[in-house]
Amino acid sequence: MKRKLIAAIGVATMAATVAACGSGDDGGGGGSSDAITVWLMDGSAPEEWVDELNAAFEAEHGITVNVEIQQWDGIQDRVTTALSEDGTVDVLEIGNTQTVGYANTGGLAELGDLAGEPWNEAMLESAEVDDTLYAAPWYGANRVVIYDKGIWEEAGAEVPTTREEWITALETLRENSDAEPIYLPGQSYYVMGGFVADEGGSFAVEDGDGWAGALATPEAQAGMEFYGELQEFSTAPAEIDEAEPQQSVDIVPNGEVASWIGLGWEAAGAVAAIEEQGGEADFGYFPIPGETPDQLGHVFLGGSNLAVSGRAGNSEMANEWLAMATSQEWAQKFVDANGGGVVPNRTDVTATPEEGSFAEAMVASADVGYLPPLTTGWANVETDPNPIKELMTKALNGEDYQAAAGEADSEITDRINRE
Amino acid sequence: MTVHIEEAPAPPPPVEGTRGPGENRRPPRRRVPSGLVPYLLLAPAVTAILAVLGYALFRNVLISLQEFGRKQLISRTTEWTGLDNYKAVLQNERFWDSLVRTFLFMAANVVLIMIIGTLLGLLLNALGKKMRLVLAISLVAAWAMPVIATTTVFRWLFDTQFGVANWLMRTLGFSGYDQHNWFGSGFSTLTIVTLLIVWTSVPFVALNLYAGLTTVSGEIWEAARMDGASSTRIFWSILLPIMRPFFMITTFLEIIWVFKAFAQIYAMNGGGPDRQSETLPVMAYVEGMGQNQYGMAAAISVLTLVILMIAMSFYFRLILKQEKENS
Repeated sequence: MKRKLIAAIGVATMAATVAACGSGDDGGGGGSSDAITVWLMDGSAPEEWVDELNAAFEAEHGITVNVEIQQWDGIQDRVTTALSEDGTVDVLEIGNTQTVGYANTGGLAELGDLAGEPWNEAMLESAEVDDTLYAAPWYGANRVVIYDKGIWEEAGAEVPTTREEWITALETLRENSDAEPIYLPGQSYYVMGGFVADEGGSFAVEDGDGWAGALATPEAQAGMEFYGELQEFSTAPAEIDEAEPQQSVDIVPNGEVASWIGLGWEAAGAVAAIEEQGGEADFGYFPIPGETPDQLGHVFLGGSNLAVSGRAGNSEMANEWLAMATSQEWAQKFVDANGGGVVPNRTDVTATPEEGSFAEAMVASADVGYLPPLTTGWANVETDPNPIKELMTKALNGEDYQAAAGEADSEITDRINRE
Repeated sequence: MTVHIEEAPAPPPPVEGTRGPGENRRPPRRRVPSGLVPYLLLAPAVTAILAVLGYALFRNVLISLQEFGRKQLISRTTEWTGLDNYKAVLQNERFWDSLVRTFLFMAANVVLIMIIGTLLGLLLNALGKKMRLVLAISLVAAWAMPVIATTTVFRWLFDTQFGVANWLMRTLGFSGYDQHNWFGSGFSTLTIVTLLIVWTSVPFVALNLYAGLTTVSGEIWEAARMDGASSTRIFWSILLPIMRPFFMITTFLEIIWVFKAFAQIYAMNGGGPDRQSETLPVMAYVEGMGQNQYGMAAAISVLTLVILMIAMSFYFRLILKQEKENS
C-alpha cells in the first residue's frame, strides 16, 4: 500500500515535471525539466552555504534547485523507495557506511567524470565499488569527548592524554563532584568500535569470499571491557543508545553531566539547548585518548557522500550540481562555513579550526579513524535490531561475553553476506 | 448482535401463512431477478474486499515466491525462486520460537480478557444505576484510547529511569527497583504488553456481555433463585448456555485480534530485547521492513494467515453445525 501511495506521488511528481518541461522548454539541450531535487540530511549543511551554492548554480544553468531536508531516523526506507521510483530525487546525500550497499542495487548513477578529482583516500573507499565511483565524498566527521570546563575545574580533574589518565579524571570527578562523570549509554556502538580498533580488532573480517562477524575475539572483548569500565561511571541504562533519548538535547542540557562523547552537530545542539534555557555552555573538547600520549584512540570516521539517482529526472543537471558542490571552491566554502568542524573531502581543501574548538579536537583524531567493513551488506547489520547493540547490553549486564559474542557474530555473518 | 437473532425463537408458522396473500401481488417482481437480488446487494461489499484485500493478498503471495530485497526493488527485476522463502522460514529456528511465543501470548491474553471481561460484565449488570454509569464510562474510555498513545504511556510508566512503576515498587519497600529495566527480557516485555492489551480489550467483552444480559428475561433469574440455585450455579447452568453464542464469537474475535496484535508489541520494545518478544506479525515486519527482505516477510505473513485460518476453521465448523441444528 505504501508503495502504491508513493507510486501515486511519484506519478504526480512526474506529471508536474512534464508540465514544467512544457513551459520551460526554450532552453533547448537535453535537460528534461527546469528544476532538480536534492535530498540533504538534517544538520549536514549550513543554510547559508546551501543558499549561496544554489543561487550560483541557478545563475549559471537557469535551473532551480529544491533542497529537501531528511531526518536520519528511518532514512534507509526512504532512500530505497526514492531510488525505486522515477523522478523522485536527483541528487541525494547518503551516509558513508551505506553508499556501497546502494551502489550495488544499481540505484546510483556512475560518476566517471569525477573519478580523477583529488578525493580524501579514506572517504573515497566508501564511495567506490570495484574502482567505479558511485558517489562523491562530501564531508567526514568523528566523535570527541565534550566536557564541562567548570565542573572539571571545580573537581580538580585534568584533561587526559591516555586511557589511564582518563579513568583517573573520571574517578576524581566521581569523588569531588555531584555531576555524572561521563554520560555513556550502553549501546553507543561506534564508540565501542573505536576501542576495539585500538586493540587491532574490528566488527567483521573477510572470510573466504564473504565476511564473518569478529566480535568473539580477544580484541573485541578487550575493547568492550574498556567500554564497560567507562560505562560504570555513567548512570545511563545499558539498553539505550545515544540517540534515544537524544543525549545532546534531552540529557546534557537537563542534568549535571561532566562529560560525554559526541559529534559536532550534537555539541552545537547541546549549546543551543542550554542557551535556550537561559544558561551558558562552557564546553571544552579533547580527542578520545589512546594507550599512550602519542597514540590517540580510534574513532569512527562518520561522514556523507553525494550521489545521483539512477532514475534522476534530469541527470545532466544533477551531475552538474554534484560536481559544483564538491568542487575545490565550494568544498572549501563548505569547510569554512562549518568553522573547520568537518574533515574535508578533498586533499586540496584545508580546514583551519579555531583553538579550543570542537573542530580542533576532531581533526586531531581524524588520522586514526576507522570505518566499518565497506561491504554491500553492512547496512543490513546496522538496521534494528542491531546485533552489536544487543551484545553490548548483554556484556554490560554481566552475561558471558564470548557466548553472547558468538551469537552476535553468526547474526552479523548472516546479514553482512546478504546483498 | 447476531447473538440475539440466534437466540430469538424460530418464527411461528402463522407468519408463513400471512405471507399467502402477499405472494399473489409479488410474483412479477420475484421472477425478474430470480434470486439475483441478494448477490447484487452483496456485490459492493465483495468488490471492495477484493479490491482492497484480495489484491494485496494476491501480491503478497506473488512476492513470497520471489527473491525480493532492496536490490530487486530498486533495479525492478523479478527473481522467481519458487518455495525457497518458505523453506528458509520453516528451517529458521526463530520462526518456530515466534510461533510458540505467539500462541502462548495469545492464549494468556484471551483467557485473561474473557475472565475479567465476563466478571466486569456481570458486575455491570448487578450494579446500581449510578455506579454502572461510572464503570461503563471508564470502560469506554479505556476502549476508545488510540493504540500508539496507550503504548507510549505504558512505556513511560515502566521507564527504567523515570518510570512510575519503579517509583511505586521503591515506595512499597521492595529493593532492587532503583533502575529496574522492565523491558530487560522478552517475558517481562510481553507481560507488560499483556497488561496493556487486556486493559484495552476487556471493555468490548464486558459491555457486550452486559448488553446480552439485559435481554435475559428476569423471570428466569427469579425462577432459578426460587429453586435455591446459588449465583455460581445460575452462571454455569443458566447464563452460560443462554449466552453461549456470545461467548463463542467473542472468544474467536479476541483470538484473531490478539494473534495479529502488532502495534502494541512493536511500539513497546520493537520486538526486543534481542528479538525475544517477537510474535509472528512483528517478525514479519522486522524481517521485511527492517531487513529489506520483502520476499521472506511475505512468506511469514502467508504462513501466519494459514495458521490463523486453520485455527479459525474450528470456529466455522461449530457455526455450521449450529446452523444445521437450528434448521
